[in-house]
Amino acid sequence: MRILPAGAAETSLVELRALTKSHPEGGGERVVFRNLSAGIRRGETVALLGRSGSGKSTLLNLIGGIDLPTAGEVILDGTNLTGLSEQRRTLFRRRHIGLVFQSFNLIPTLTVMENLLLPLELNGKTGERPRAAAQALLGRVGLADRAGAYPDRLSGGEQQRVAVARAVIHDPFLLLADEPTGSLDAETGMRVLELLVGLARNGGRTMIIVTHSDTVARAADRVLAIRDGRLVEETFPGVAPA
Amino acid sequence: MILRLAGLRHLSRHPLQLIFGVVGVALGVAAVFSIDLANESARRAFLISAQTVAGKATHQIVGGPSGLEESLYTTLRRHGGLRTIAPIVEGYALVPARPGLTLHILGIDPFAEAPFRNYTPGTSASDVIPRLLTRPGAVLLLEGTAERLGISPGDTLPLRVGLESRNVTLSGFLRPGDDVTRQALETTAVADISTAQELLGKVGRLSRIDLLAPAGAEEEVALSRIRKILPPEAEIVPSGARGSAMEQMTRAFSLNLSALSLLALVVGMFLVYNTMTFSVLQRRQIMGTLRALGVTRGELFAQVLSEAAVLGAAGTVLGLPLGFFLGKFLLGMVTRSIGDLYFALSVREVSLTAATFVKAVGLGTLGAVAASLWPAHEATSTPTRDVMRRSAIETGVRKILPAVSAAGAGLILLGAGVQLYPSRSVPLSFGGLFSIVAGYALLAPGATTLLVRGIQPFLAFAFGTQGKMAARSIPASISRTGVAAAALVVAVSTTVGIGIMIDSFRRTVSDWLDQSLRSDIYVSSVEDRRGPDRTPLPPDLVEGLSSAPWIQQVALVRRQTLESPSGFTELFVMRIPRESFDSFRFLEGNAHNAWVALHSGAVIVSDPYAYRHGVKRGDTVRLRTDRGEREFPVAGVYYDYSSDQGLVGILGETYERFWDDRGVDSIGIRLSPGTPVEAAIGRIRRIAGDRPVLIRSNRSLREASLRVFDRTFAVTNVLRSLTILIAFIGVLNALMAIQMERGREHAVLRAIGLTPRQTWGLVAGESAIIGTVAGILAVPLGAAQALLLIRFINRRSFGWTMQMFVDPWVLLQAVVLALAASLLAGLYPATRLARSSPARALQEE
Repeated sequence: MRILPAGAAETSLVELRALTKSHPEGGGERVVFRNLSAGIRRGETVALLGRSGSGKSTLLNLIGGIDLPTAGEVILDGTNLTGLSEQRRTLFRRRHIGLVFQSFNLIPTLTVMENLLLPLELNGKTGERPRAAAQALLGRVGLADRAGAYPDRLSGGEQQRVAVARAVIHDPFLLLADEPTGSLDAETGMRVLELLVGLARNGGRTMIIVTHSDTVARAADRVLAIRDGRLVEETFPGVAPA
Repeated sequence: MILRLAGLRHLSRHPLQLIFGVVGVALGVAAVFSIDLANESARRAFLISAQTVAGKATHQIVGGPSGLEESLYTTLRRHGGLRTIAPIVEGYALVPARPGLTLHILGIDPFAEAPFRNYTPGTSASDVIPRLLTRPGAVLLLEGTAERLGISPGDTLPLRVGLESRNVTLSGFLRPGDDVTRQALETTAVADISTAQELLGKVGRLSRIDLLAPAGAEEEVALSRIRKILPPEAEIVPSGARGSAMEQMTRAFSLNLSALSLLALVVGMFLVYNTMTFSVLQRRQIMGTLRALGVTRGELFAQVLSEAAVLGAAGTVLGLPLGFFLGKFLLGMVTRSIGDLYFALSVREVSLTAATFVKAVGLGTLGAVAASLWPAHEATSTPTRDVMRRSAIETGVRKILPAVSAAGAGLILLGAGVQLYPSRSVPLSFGGLFSIVAGYALLAPGATTLLVRGIQPFLAFAFGTQGKMAARSIPASISRTGVAAAALVVAVSTTVGIGIMIDSFRRTVSDWLDQSLRSDIYVSSVEDRRGPDRTPLPPDLVEGLSSAPWIQQVALVRRQTLESPSGFTELFVMRIPRESFDSFRFLEGNAHNAWVALHSGAVIVSDPYAYRHGVKRGDTVRLRTDRGEREFPVAGVYYDYSSDQGLVGILGETYERFWDDRGVDSIGIRLSPGTPVEAAIGRIRRIAGDRPVLIRSNRSLREASLRVFDRTFAVTNVLRSLTILIAFIGVLNALMAIQMERGREHAVLRAIGLTPRQTWGLVAGESAIIGTVAGILAVPLGAAQALLLIRFINRRSFGWTMQMFVDPWVLLQAVVLALAASLLAGLYPATRLARSSPARALQEE
């Protein structure tokens, strides 16, 4: 099955071609999904729905180059990730992709500011300018006064805001968020979602959000769901189908 | 930079774990550094002393046991064609006022000395020479030595030379131009040659004649001209030969200590491995995040290694001063052992060389980095998605366990092959031993899994679900428990191995003493002194005792050292009755045939001599006699544990045919039936008068010999204790990390109703299982180590054939030791977990 918006072939930033993913299990193979294709346009925000164990996070890992498909290709902005070595995939990811996790995954031994500077440093940007940019971004996520704090001194919402800031600080073209509000209460989750979507849209970034939440899905431009190992497009009230 | 910061902060947030890792490296570095310092200080002190005394001499003319005729020097001066020659008389004297201090008496001809040595630069010869020549008993000492002895110029210093009391007068100070010479002369008294001859009882004799031969082609011309004049007992040897031969003697002794200290370091490296493995395991979530954020495998690998380097550097910084002080302490033990086994040596200061320092620093830091290669590999080789999964590591380790075990078996086979390879190389033997130990350590995790699975039904039966849980948790976290068990196995097996070796050696020596010491009383001139200057007993004492009616028979013995360009040969001269000879146990030949052959001019050689020189019964040995070099047939090879350099046994009558010396330095006395030993000792004392001869009963000589034996192994025991201490910290570290890691699991158990006491029992039970299993696994490795040490390493190092005795009690002790160490180590984590709040642990996760 192929889920592509009109004219997507020319404008897709993310192209998934006939992806199959299976795991060895009990002497056999468990197929997570098979022959899955999709295209996501530049600047588009897509919500990815599905039941637990349906393979949402696995798909996100494939798009981020964290994992490799059993078959098929992942093309990001014209680069075939599946054809790259582990090293090249990592370098691609560090430059072009921002990640937000459900459990925040801030580095506990680094301060808020250092967590933000880490992606910049990995991309070879050091000195006062990155620091100023990080401070400005912290201001935008409402944590300007917490730059020196360690993650364990922050609330869950605050930690996720730092994680969002860390995901965009190096100006990636693709944001991947795995249940970004899953560990937060409704109100805090809503604020984090607004922040995430705002930073993605204002920066013209493409974003894929894995979620269980209808609220999160409504914030997306388009909703895709994995059902029985296949990708289907869903219509949500408030979400215009492509 | 930020990445590095994150890693270092992680280590600092787990202070106990960090401390254990650092302490492990520190103790390992301290062990190696201290042994190196002690060995090197002793070696340097000896070499400097030998070089300083030899001065610029290129060659030395040496004679037989009684030295050279004084007239030879005059003849050489007149007809030798070489002007740069100097006579030397040297020997040793005790300072009664300072027990334990031996002064090296160096007698020189001040007029011939200038080309060779100058111990008084800046002092005019016209000032020093008359004082040395004109004052009776005049000697020169270092100012510092004189101060320590509490004497000033003009004061008299009483000495004991052999059995005689002598007085010398301090007439000036030696003023060496540099610190090295000063160090070498700390226990040297320089005297005029005639003063030294009188002092040492060598009137008319010289110890040697130093030569300064011209360089190049002229050298051989000059030497051959001298050679033509030399009497048969004299020989020209290169001046470094003596020092090299003496250094060679102590090499195996030093090497054995170094290898043991390396073992302590290896166990220390287990600790670094543990620390880094746990550090990586604890951070798998963070590492997964970092990988997801775009940190490459190489960057993460470098990060883990750089953390290990910091840990290694910190341990090294701590270990060096610790090692320095330990080295100072061990130096005394090492020096005493060298004195007991080889020759008198006086070392006051530890000398630190760049090589010793670099070796310790290199081993500490690079060793830590090497020990972290696997954890670093583990941290970076797991796929990014799996790094975050806890079970992935255990699954991975379980998968490679058969391969690891196979590699272990391969290393064991390699080590065994190395041992069986027909070589005499001691480093190769140690390499084989290390290979076997490393191989066994690799087998330990697999063996632990099997053993624990084996005892699981019993534990389940005895302790119910808790017993089952405790047993299951060990294979379930084998990546950590396996390492802890391996470290404990290595340390405990080393203790067992060394324990069996020392015990076997002691019993072999004890049996040999029982067999050899057949006399009731032993009279000797000096106590346990090695070296070429054994003072003979006064002839009247020997005669008096030989003819005493209350004495049934006497065995007269002389040990004499022969010097040659190839080293030293110690002669064991026997003037003994046939019955005494029966106490010899032969490795090749038998007492009856050997006795007959000895009377025909043959010799017997000790086991170490035969091993070192590749001599068998029926071969011949070449010895330098006072009549020139002669060959002697070997009538047998006998067991002897008194010298690792080996002895050549010869009958007195043969000795007297080829050597001029008639001295006796030890008498074994068999009393007439009914004569009480104590009463006989009193009578001998009266015959000896005020001469300080040593009179010992059979029992006290036996005890003294075993005391010397025990002293020799004192350093070994220090290292053994150090290894166990490091292993203990290793197990504590491992158990703590394992238990802390499973905080959530225990919190869940607490939440569903396990009492703190039950939690404590569970954790302590796991520790006990690891300890017991490690103890059981340590037994075969310990026995194997003992076998290798006894059959190969000691044989190759010292040439001794030892019987192996395995005391079951020692083996049981191994299991108890491992269990105790493990339980003790489990105490703290068990208590800490039992007291921790389950709510907090659940929340934190």
